[in-house]
Amino acid sequence: MKRFLSIALLALATCAAAHAAPKNDGRPDGGLLNYSEFGRTATVDPITSNETISLRITELVFNGLVGIDEKQEIVPELAERWEVSKDGRTFTFFLRKDVKWHPREGEEPRPFTADDVVFTWNIMMNPRTITPLKVRYEFIEKVQKTGDYTVVFTLKRPILNALAKFTFKVIPRHGPANPEYLTREDPFARAPIGTGPYMLKTITGDGEVVLLSNPDYFKGKAHIDKFIAKPFADQNIMAQALMFNAVDMIVLVNPRNLPEVQGDKRFVLQPYNALSYSFFGYNMRNPLLSDRRVREAIAEAINRQEMLNSFFNGQGTLISGPFAPGSWAYNLDVKPLPFNPERARSLLAEAGYKAGADGVMEKDGKKLALSLKVPIEKESEAVKRVVLAFQNYLKSVGIAINVEFKEWQAWKEDVFLEHNFDIMFASWVFDDSADISSLFHSAEIGDWKNNFGGYSNPEVDALIVESKLTLDFEKRRTINRKLHAILAEEQPYAFLWTLTNYSAYHRKVRRVQIHPYKFFSFADEWFIPVSEQK
Amino acid sequence: MKLSAILPVARVLRRELAVTALLLLGVSVVVFAVLYLAPGDPLNVLLEGQSPRAQLAAREALGVPHTWYGRYGTWLAKVLQGNFGNSIRTGLPVLPELARVGVNTLVLTLGSLLLTLVIAVPIAVHAAVNGDTAGNTAATVAAYVLSAVPVFWFGYIVVYVFIHWFGMFPLISGAATKQPHAWLYFLVPIFVLGTASGTLAELIRHLREELSRVLAEDYIRTARAKGAAVWRHAFKEGFLIPVTEIMSAKIPFLLGGAVIVEQVFNWPGMGRMAWQAAQDRDFPVIMGVALVAAAFVRTGNLLQRVVFTMVNPRASKE
Repeated sequence: MKRFLSIALLALATCAAAHAAPKNDGRPDGGLLNYSEFGRTATVDPITSNETISLRITELVFNGLVGIDEKQEIVPELAERWEVSKDGRTFTFFLRKDVKWHPREGEEPRPFTADDVVFTWNIMMNPRTITPLKVRYEFIEKVQKTGDYTVVFTLKRPILNALAKFTFKVIPRHGPANPEYLTREDPFARAPIGTGPYMLKTITGDGEVVLLSNPDYFKGKAHIDKFIAKPFADQNIMAQALMFNAVDMIVLVNPRNLPEVQGDKRFVLQPYNALSYSFFGYNMRNPLLSDRRVREAIAEAINRQEMLNSFFNGQGTLISGPFAPGSWAYNLDVKPLPFNPERARSLLAEAGYKAGADGVMEKDGKKLALSLKVPIEKESEAVKRVVLAFQNYLKSVGIAINVEFKEWQAWKEDVFLEHNFDIMFASWVFDDSADISSLFHSAEIGDWKNNFGGYSNPEVDALIVESKLTLDFEKRRTINRKLHAILAEEQPYAFLWTLTNYSAYHRKVRRVQIHPYKFFSFADEWFIPVSEQK
Repeated sequence: MKLSAILPVARVLRRELAVTALLLLGVSVVVFAVLYLAPGDPLNVLLEGQSPRAQLAAREALGVPHTWYGRYGTWLAKVLQGNFGNSIRTGLPVLPELARVGVNTLVLTLGSLLLTLVIAVPIAVHAAVNGDTAGNTAATVAAYVLSAVPVFWFGYIVVYVFIHWFGMFPLISGAATKQPHAWLYFLVPIFVLGTASGTLAELIRHLREELSRVLAEDYIRTARAKGAAVWRHAFKEGFLIPVTEIMSAKIPFLLGGAVIVEQVFNWPGMGRMAWQAAQDRDFPVIMGVALVAAAFVRTGNLLQRVVFTMVNPRASKE
């Protein structure tokens, strides 16, 4: 509670000085930034879109009630301050009065008010609106306007770090053609207006998204005049486009192209932490895999560092447990299991396995042969290598792996619906909540649920529930550290690594700060020196 | 043109257009069946990671019929009214989008066809008239090698050569490109598809054989004996027919090659649209692309029939 209060005070102090105008920070305005994307956007409003390319664009066009700064702290955005009731169920937001919506062609800009916040909430929760956001905001019971610039959110129950959830982007009441619900057919989905530092000018026939700096932005006009997102169908070509100055920035460089970009003095390679990791997940329904010793043997039979070095140029970190590295919940005291095929063999022997005639381990006449299902994704080259290496490592300790590559949808049905697999390969991407309850709680076993392996452990269940209920941050951290240690011991997944993301951009772009997954959160501060604007 | 020349063509067209309608219907049924039986659900792109309850609600909200015949029927009824529906992924209407990218694909395929002709015809005619010479043998062998090379590989080689030898970046990304002579770069993908799609070698072989055969016919020998223009007599049967035959037979392969070339060269055409739509199970777009591609192939066949009928009006009665 104390924490929230101090932030509110800070907010009061800062907002007094800010008003819509140039930034007056001594840095030049002007210039154009072309950035490349691998693939095209579908929709670019914050509600119907569900891909990272769109997420990056909505970050430029819209604002939330609150934002997250470089230090992962919550800062005021559309709300200049807020109050939280003692029971933690009522959040009152006091909105800025100087915010205007981007004007449409030939129209005057309209002011942002509490009605827009209520409208956004209603449209998001309408059953006919298809949005991935719905699940995330079910903890809110109702939203009321208590004045033109005051909104009250009532929660179903108090939750920790609730404030971070109010980063959802607010859309204008006069935005969508249909005031009830939002579909991808609504013109707003491809031509949205927001309050953010950039206004969406147009999406060309070739899928280029053109964005112009908003002169009335409430934090001061962004420095760079124009952003253009260019779609590419091939990652190697994308890297070549950077080399030939056809683009100025690649948001995510393919690991294969890193050395090439790195060797070029014209460009900056900037790492940014992604809240994600890769793993092999086990199906506990298979009696062979429900034996913890077998799972540990698999983890110790594979040389993860070697795979990371050879397939991803070593651009990443090995992990030991279930939380996203870089999140506060991650327990750095737990070390990743070492590569130790000898121990793997002795674990298998301990579990009662003996090598058969063909070198494959057997127990009671049953072979230790497992199926591995892997989804075919857009860029599956590195994935293929990882999978084949996995197969080879395990062969040397006597475990036979039968690899099956599956088309994405079919793979999802096999893993999440039919549970017809022994081992699967995938990655999780987290938002900042560090919540793993949907992955390992036994209540999450079922059709299309995230505990696809059917992992069930009463101790883990209890800790997850406790962690969700506590409102004390330090206590929650302690619980999560314990959870991390238990799951590292239990190995429901073979935890692999988190890859470091790299953005590459031309040196002329200065003061570049990158948000882990929203990317452009701080883009209004970026600038290009006058001498290099042409 | 005389009426007697048009009538047979009209007769052929009337018959063939009816067949075309049936054909398109058949294509739509087959593509629909494949999509329906394939794993995955067209709404998955929207519903990724949502609860079964939310998925059901969304389906109700969108009014998706439950049965396969319901879905196909609604789609067909709309298409007959000229409405191809909206893309599930982007929400954009399918028909204008198709028209927009279809033009780009048309430029690419017709341009490459033209290029194939420009290269193949002189080689084939020279070989048919003069027999094997060192020059035309070399040219023919080169054409065969190019045709045997996979298009995607050749595409990457060409990109590489342009970048590293000429210091040029041969990819167009939309209207915002302000490189000097940007239009020239349009020719690169056309060059790749025109030379490496496999049509080149077949056209040379077929045209050369047919032309040699016709040049050896009795009526040509008679014409030559009379001192009449051999070329004018041999043109229709020895040149026009074989060329149109091969061209119309090769259109499907060209479209297939276009998918790859568009991918390599970032060319905003129908192939890329189809590729993306297939990945997303974007049912209305896939159906639209399939129909347009089928219509395109069929148009090629029809043109070939028309040429054939004009050359040989009796064929219209067969």
